[in-house]
Amino acid sequence: MLGKLRISGILVILGLVVEALSLCWNNAFSFMSFVVVGGLFFASGILLFLYSLVSSKPSAVKNPWHTGRF
Amino acid sequence: MIDPQTLVFLLIGASILLILVVVIRPSITASREGKIIAFLALFVVPVVAAGVGASEHMERSEHTQFCLSCHIMEPYGRSLYVDDPSYIPAAHFQNHRIPADTACYTCHTDYAMFGTIHAKLEGLHHVYVYWFGTPMNPIRLYQPYNNRECLHCHAGARSFEDPTHLAMMGDLKSNKLSCTTSGCHDTFHNVDKLGQVKFWKAAE
Repeated sequence: MLGKLRISGILVILGLVVEALSLCWNNAFSFMSFVVVGGLFFASGILLFLYSLVSSKPSAVKNPWHTGRF
Repeated sequence: MIDPQTLVFLLIGASILLILVVVIRPSITASREGKIIAFLALFVVPVVAAGVGASEHMERSEHTQFCLSCHIMEPYGRSLYVDDPSYIPAAHFQNHRIPADTACYTCHTDYAMFGTIHAKLEGLHHVYVYWFGTPMNPIRLYQPYNNRECLHCHAGARSFEDPTHLAMMGDLKSNKLSCTTSGCHDTFHNVDKLGQVKFWKAAE
């Protein structure tokens, strides 16, 4: 769970960095970088995060997403 | 007023900081507040940042510089500097009858409901074909040029209210008579003849 969280965080950061870099230029290449490379990192990071939410097992102590407080 | 690019960078910075907190100390997600922070960091703020970034990219795609960044468009960019007033795009560009920094978009967008969206979807298709397919050579319009795009600016303008144009206004509005192919204003980019023309150079 925590591993997935870390990986998704890193993927989203990579996507955001690509987005920031792509905004430094105004041409078709930067646009495609934003859509293809940034979008790929970003989408995989977000999807992995969402997957980690729905796939985590409700073992209260070991899994911090399910402490039983919700 | 904060400009969109700064807003995107601020959102990206805030998003990265929040994500770093979660990545470095994932144990914070044990608490309710931590879960909220993780959800904001890994979903809400990045999605907003990406959305604003995408919007900014779409706005920038209207710029002449963007259109001309594809190699295939280079001669069309040069044609804007032809020193001949019969070249309609060149005359419009050089005399600032259209905004010079959005010259391509101004004449080639679709001035109808959802025209901007339609034009941008076509632009996305162009970018896709340029990078992943084989662009047509020579390139051509998908449909004949619609008078509506000319009349968007010219209709109602004093310089356009001459007897010649007024007499044919009905046919122009209904596209029965084309501005561009009826023999009146039929010189456009003519990129195959760029080797035979003089070019205008803007004063520094």
